Amino acid sequence: MAAASVIARRGKADACAAAITAHYGVTLPTGPRRAASGDVVFAGVGPWRWIATAEGADAAEFVAQLRERLVFVAAVTDQSDARLVVRLRGPRVRDVLAKGVPVDLHPRAFKAGDVATTLVAHIGVQIDMLDDGPTYLIAAPRSMAGSFWSWLTASAAEFGYDVSRS
Amino acid sequence: MSGTHRLQSGGLIDRGKPLSFSFDCESHAGFAGDTLASALVANGVKLVGRSFKYHRPRGIFTAGSEEPNALVELRGGVRREPNTRATVTELYDGLIAASQNRWPSLRHDIGAVNDRLSRFLVAGFYYKTFMWPAKFWELLYEPLIRRAAGLGRAAGAEDPDIYEKAFAHCDVLVIGAGPAGLMATLAAGRTGARVILADEDFRLGGRLLAERCEIGGRPAVDWVAEIEAELAAMPDVRIMRRTAVTGVYDHGQYSAIERVNDHVATPPEHEPRQRSWKIVAKRAVLAAGAHERAIAFGNNDRPGVMLAGAARTYVNRFAAAPGRRLAVFTNNDDGPRTAADAREAGIEVAAVIDSRTGARVTRVRGRHGVRLIDVADADGRTSTIECDALAVSGGWNPAVHLTCHLGGKPVWNDEIAAFVPGALPPGMTVAGAAAGALTLARCLGGGMTAGVTAAAACGFAIAAITQPRADDEGAAVTAMWHVKDSRGKAFVDLQNDVTTKDVALATQEGFGSVEHLKRYTTLGMATDQGKTANVLGLAILAQASARAIPQVGTTTYRPPYVPVSFGAMAGHHRGRDFRPTRLPPSHAWATEQGAVFVEAGAWLRAQYYPRAGEADWLKTVNREVAATRAHVGVCDVSTLGKIEIEGANAGVFLDRVYANTFSTLPVGKARYGLMLREDGFVMDDGTASRLAPERFFMTTTTAQAVRVMQHLEFCHQVLWPALDVQMVSVSEQWAQFSIAGPRSRDVLAKLVDADLGDAAFPHLGCREVTACGVAARLFRLSFSGELAYELAVPARHGDATIRAIMAAGAEFGITPYGTEALGVMRIEKGHVAGNEINGQLTARDLGLGRMMSTKKDFVGRVMAQRPALLDPERPALVGFKPVDGARRLRAGAHFLKIGAGATAENDEGYMTSVAYSPMVKSWIGLGVLRRGPERIGERVRAYDPVRNGDVEVEVTSPIFVDPEGARLHG
Repeated sequence: MAAASVIARRGKADACAAAITAHYGVTLPTGPRRAASGDVVFAGVGPWRWIATAEGADAAEFVAQLRERLVFVAAVTDQSDARLVVRLRGPRVRDVLAKGVPVDLHPRAFKAGDVATTLVAHIGVQIDMLDDGPTYLIAAPRSMAGSFWSWLTASAAEFGYDVSRS
Repeated sequence: MSGTHRLQSGGLIDRGKPLSFSFDCESHAGFAGDTLASALVANGVKLVGRSFKYHRPRGIFTAGSEEPNALVELRGGVRREPNTRATVTELYDGLIAASQNRWPSLRHDIGAVNDRLSRFLVAGFYYKTFMWPAKFWELLYEPLIRRAAGLGRAAGAEDPDIYEKAFAHCDVLVIGAGPAGLMATLAAGRTGARVILADEDFRLGGRLLAERCEIGGRPAVDWVAEIEAELAAMPDVRIMRRTAVTGVYDHGQYSAIERVNDHVATPPEHEPRQRSWKIVAKRAVLAAGAHERAIAFGNNDRPGVMLAGAARTYVNRFAAAPGRRLAVFTNNDDGPRTAADAREAGIEVAAVIDSRTGARVTRVRGRHGVRLIDVADADGRTSTIECDALAVSGGWNPAVHLTCHLGGKPVWNDEIAAFVPGALPPGMTVAGAAAGALTLARCLGGGMTAGVTAAAACGFAIAAITQPRADDEGAAVTAMWHVKDSRGKAFVDLQNDVTTKDVALATQEGFGSVEHLKRYTTLGMATDQGKTANVLGLAILAQASARAIPQVGTTTYRPPYVPVSFGAMAGHHRGRDFRPTRLPPSHAWATEQGAVFVEAGAWLRAQYYPRAGEADWLKTVNREVAATRAHVGVCDVSTLGKIEIEGANAGVFLDRVYANTFSTLPVGKARYGLMLREDGFVMDDGTASRLAPERFFMTTTTAQAVRVMQHLEFCHQVLWPALDVQMVSVSEQWAQFSIAGPRSRDVLAKLVDADLGDAAFPHLGCREVTACGVAARLFRLSFSGELAYELAVPARHGDATIRAIMAAGAEFGITPYGTEALGVMRIEKGHVAGNEINGQLTARDLGLGRMMSTKKDFVGRVMAQRPALLDPERPALVGFKPVDGARRLRAGAHFLKIGAGATAENDEGYMTSVAYSPMVKSWIGLGVLRRGPERIGERVRAYDPVRNGDVEVEVTSPIFVDPEGARLHG
């Protein structure tokens, strides 16, 4: 998965949003939400700050193109190698996540398309809710992948889990 | 048949599920639904432990988490858990428990001699006795006191069980599942609010399980079952049994401890024993009930003396008779009720001694269990009553604890002669007995109102609910604290063995403040936090000091409300998971090489790479240094903090955060940068490279990476929001390898597609290249002083890249080196690192004063000009070599003039870093010395009393190798 951080330049948030709408056909979210256009997703992770991802895309190409399209309106930085990304799905997934995620993930509080940047077991993560499956996407720093995995498997063990590669 | 004292019928135990257990190696039988305490009561076991200080025989005193006496060692082997309250321990088949604080046996305990010596062991005994002679302290007193201190034995081995932490969120948190809590939950739950009901018991109902009472014309337990079923069917109501809420914190946060699998011998595989919860609630209803309190009279601690409410619990809930012939001593309406319940259960009632008639119990007789009680009436007539159990009720204290965790003080209520909640934590309401409404109908009504109000406050429309019919039982009380004409010790705090005499003595000796009383006598300082004792203690203090109780006040209530195990506090974070470990991209490869790793912050870095035959780390490190300086070495430097800084004002921003100038840096060049704190001391150093006119790449030290990022964000967001600058960490994105040594260019030439000649790519150059077919960045930077490069590739290629570098370098004798060799080479070059950038030294101190630009403003500029920081007497950076080349240097040694005594006044500075230099062929050091740069060639003492070091050293330039810098160019 290709990934890049996108930070709007000062006073250029609207221009940045317009450029993204023009090129990707999505409305850039203004809060902690994700907006998808095919395989390209923009997730709001802070004020005037997004993580853009593209499933299956070549990292260097995706980032170079994004940078070109947002030149002078946003700082685009390659983060494709910075993250371990896992997709979690299943009826007990919220019970697993409750063992480390301090954010309220109840369906009333956190809906499909919502995004949170938070800490799990002292590890900074980005959590996206994809659908009401429920399915969640969690991105953790690459260097802490082992510790994150240790927490995840320990937390899921009580309910049982399967691992597959996407 | 299960137990000599088991009632034939009744109780909420499952007679179809018999369980066997052992206490002090003796086998007993009980039923599912029992606690360890109720099963012991049912088996007629009265003596269950010895008290902490006097080793007095003790029995079961309560039926809840407030228990002061019945503390046992539960389970055995690695799962042995001391100080477990038998009253909250659910019975399971095969349970093993043992009594504590006795030797050789519970019945014959040598330590009981303390009871005879009690005349001397009064409050303040330790403070007074072990003062002199002072030299006795370490050798005699401390070991003696240590042996006597503590209760129970820890397992002494690693806990094999799993513990967890978890988060929960709700609109309304209801604490306690008695009549008030159940009504509150029902009322809030019906509105559709998200409700969590937490109760420490394994069964919902609270006092309803322990009293013979009716709700809506039916037995209360039937009503509980009906409510429980309705709540269980509500999708957004969560019932948390075996869960004690232990603390209240800011912003509606509550801590709770769930004893998930304490009621089985071994938790099922992958399940935790306990789970520590953080619950975030918009509103909370505290329905924690009340604790009954004792009355102080002679030998009121004897086994068989128990609180009246507990006696009713054992009779009504557990069908266990506390005795065959029960006497009741009371100051309130609970006394007659206790007698009635006992009679109903077929227990003979010897007497009801009601202090409101002037009668009182003056003494209990029977050392290992109640045999007789001495009673006096209003006219002073005395009599002796035969009984084997005595139920005592001194009134009820609302469980105000959680209302006080954010600083609220409870207030005195004369009607119930107890403290009730005062100012409440934001979002909390109190209902039922916890609010001082001690009777059933008031509990139901109060709970309902609290539940409706709490849900409404969260925006939920009120749903239909009616208060079920119930009566308010009698609850009149006339305070009675202390039987003055008692004979024998009258205990206030059973767990810490504090008597009425101790309270009086403390008052007499001037410890009249309730907080002083607590510390002087240890009243309320045991694990039960004095739940049955504190109010009694301060009432006696009030009497002794002729004050009213509200004037005396209470001590501070602090979390946790009940004891919490360390395992639950640690949760998943133990052993390797204590904190996250960060692995650099070459970790797998380095592991294959047999590297020895070192923790550098959260990172696990290769420290050195030993080879066969190198028994000593120093041999390995010397080889790595020598090979790098002679040929070429490679080191993973991905752990450095890496930040991309972009924007029209990126250069200006760097000028302001660094002491030196960056706006003039050409594209394609890197520069060493020094960052100061606002107070003028050095914060960090690193490099910044200009990748494009408006894009820079900054590196920080490994240790300060997070702090620098925070600092930059602060500077941008708070100090200069007008600047157009965007920054983001790319520490995780790039794997970065330092390739150093005279042959480094030859190695890189095989890997990258660029002209690496000095002219095309000079020292401090940076450019984008393709390395092994991957888009990479190359920097010509040197920390070692050699011709050196840093090659950065996207992290996924890190593993392949280190292998490619090693393969390409094989013909040049490439050697991987770790953090030790890295350290040696930077010390040889006099480069400062974390040991020097220690928060106490300025740029001037480090010989970097010239880096502080005079042409611009920057963070730390003004404060660095403070006179004391400009004092020429300040120690400054120089190098050191031992005069005797064979001597080892130690970092941390202090410098003294030759011949000067080792005193603080003669201290001239200290050694910050040392290393054995294979180039110099002796130990070398960096350090700060008063007027150091002016004293090159002078000799001083490096004095290190901690490690018996006292070495004469010569002051040298801090640059030991290649002072001209010729090697940088290969």
